[in-house]
Amino acid sequence: MNTFAANLNAFYAVVRRDFHIYLSYRTRLVSQILTSIFSLTLFYYVSRLVRVEGFTTPDRYFGFVVVGIALVGVLYSCFAVSETIRQELVAGTFERLLLSPFGGVRGAVATAIFPLAYAFVLSSVTLGLGVAIFGLELHWPTVPLALPTLVLALLAFLPFGLIFTALTIATKQANVGASWIIALLSIVGGLYFPIALLPGWAQLAAEVQPFTPATELLRHFLVDAPMETSVGVALLKIVGFAEVLVPLSLYALYHAIRFGQRRGTIIEY
Amino acid sequence: MSGVLVRSEVEPAPPVSGPMQPMPLSLRGVSKAWDKGRVPVLDRVELDIDVGDRVRIAGRNGVGKTTLMRIAAGLIDPDRGRATVWGTSAAERQRLVSFLPAGDRGLYARLSVRRQLDFWARIAMVPRGEVSARVEEAIEIFNLGELADRRVDRMSMGQRQRLRIAMTFMPHPDVVLLDEPLTSLDGEGAQILYAAIERLLDKGGALLWCSPAGERLDYGFDRTYMLDEGRLVAA
Repeated sequence: MNTFAANLNAFYAVVRRDFHIYLSYRTRLVSQILTSIFSLTLFYYVSRLVRVEGFTTPDRYFGFVVVGIALVGVLYSCFAVSETIRQELVAGTFERLLLSPFGGVRGAVATAIFPLAYAFVLSSVTLGLGVAIFGLELHWPTVPLALPTLVLALLAFLPFGLIFTALTIATKQANVGASWIIALLSIVGGLYFPIALLPGWAQLAAEVQPFTPATELLRHFLVDAPMETSVGVALLKIVGFAEVLVPLSLYALYHAIRFGQRRGTIIEY
Repeated sequence: MSGVLVRSEVEPAPPVSGPMQPMPLSLRGVSKAWDKGRVPVLDRVELDIDVGDRVRIAGRNGVGKTTLMRIAAGLIDPDRGRATVWGTSAAERQRLVSFLPAGDRGLYARLSVRRQLDFWARIAMVPRGEVSARVEEAIEIFNLGELADRRVDRMSMGQRQRLRIAMTFMPHPDVVLLDEPLTSLDGEGAQILYAAIERLLDKGGALLWCSPAGERLDYGFDRTYMLDEGRLVAA
């Protein structure tokens, strides 16, 4: 078996492992779907109050915010990898992964796949519930374009989780500051309201991370929301962030592991 | 152990340094200190393990046995010196060495025995077409048949240890490092382990075993060393 096939097989094993562990907690899906329904209900009634410039009808704002809610789940899943690796450090399974031919870096990247795929499914369920229960109107001709856009966006988002994983391996603390980073990205990424409402300096922050263009693009494809920039520019921004951040995060992860091995702290948790 | 030659009882321990050809496992001048160098643990340790060797390292608690095993496995780096497998310290060594850490960690509590073995076989880069056969082989050899579909968090400590040992031998490594492998094992489990070691050695493998000084073992080693004040001394 060549190296590529062996690696693919190992990636598959990690995803399958996470799937089986997920299945062993039987109420998790029900609980998460209920959470989605509660969020949708909350924002559906908030949207009934919204009649402002930019959102000519309550339904326009509801469509805007549902995509935001769906993406928050994706955002959380990006950071989930560091928490999972922290659990693996405690359980001693990361040590085994590290000593395997697959290795720690690939192991951590593979660990991110299931949460991201699951977040994608849950986002789709959220949108589906929005359509089925609250009459959300999707822009069906461009909905299929959202899928490759989301895959591209995940490539740009994932490095944030990997950098936090590197920090977790180095400091043994899971998600140091992750919750406020997620909150900050939710604000400057325009997940709940347009970034045009933010003060100028905060709008600058909206430009230096991939969540803003990804959110804007997905809203455009899913609910036909107008865009501040062109589709091409938004895509280029996402590709650019992915191109810079993916190697940077892998570098950080590799060196965090090597740092732990040199210091002997990789065995601590 | 009756019927097994304990070389250290009948002949002096061979020199522990100076081989001219790559060995399955070599430690050269390995030193390690903890707490930013304030707590020296290993001091220029030299060790060669050849094909077919059963080597035991014994010592008091906290003397550095596990640190030595972790360095030999490639989990942590020595401060000085190097640990090599067949002359290489590079990444490919992980295909050749298998390490059983002390304790009961390293298992996914929510996975069954079969799924656990399948997972680790794939992570160990066992060819895809051989994974099922290896898993079934491990289940049979380590007598895990009745437990194959049981989740780890529903197993006893001894059963978990048998699974951990099965995971260690399953990739068919050249060198097996066992850190206190008898923990929680009953007599049957110990015999299964000894038989697995013999199969490893018959196929040209090598064994490094570490356990506390004074532990009663019904298994014979070709060489036994005491780790004391950072140095290996033939016992």
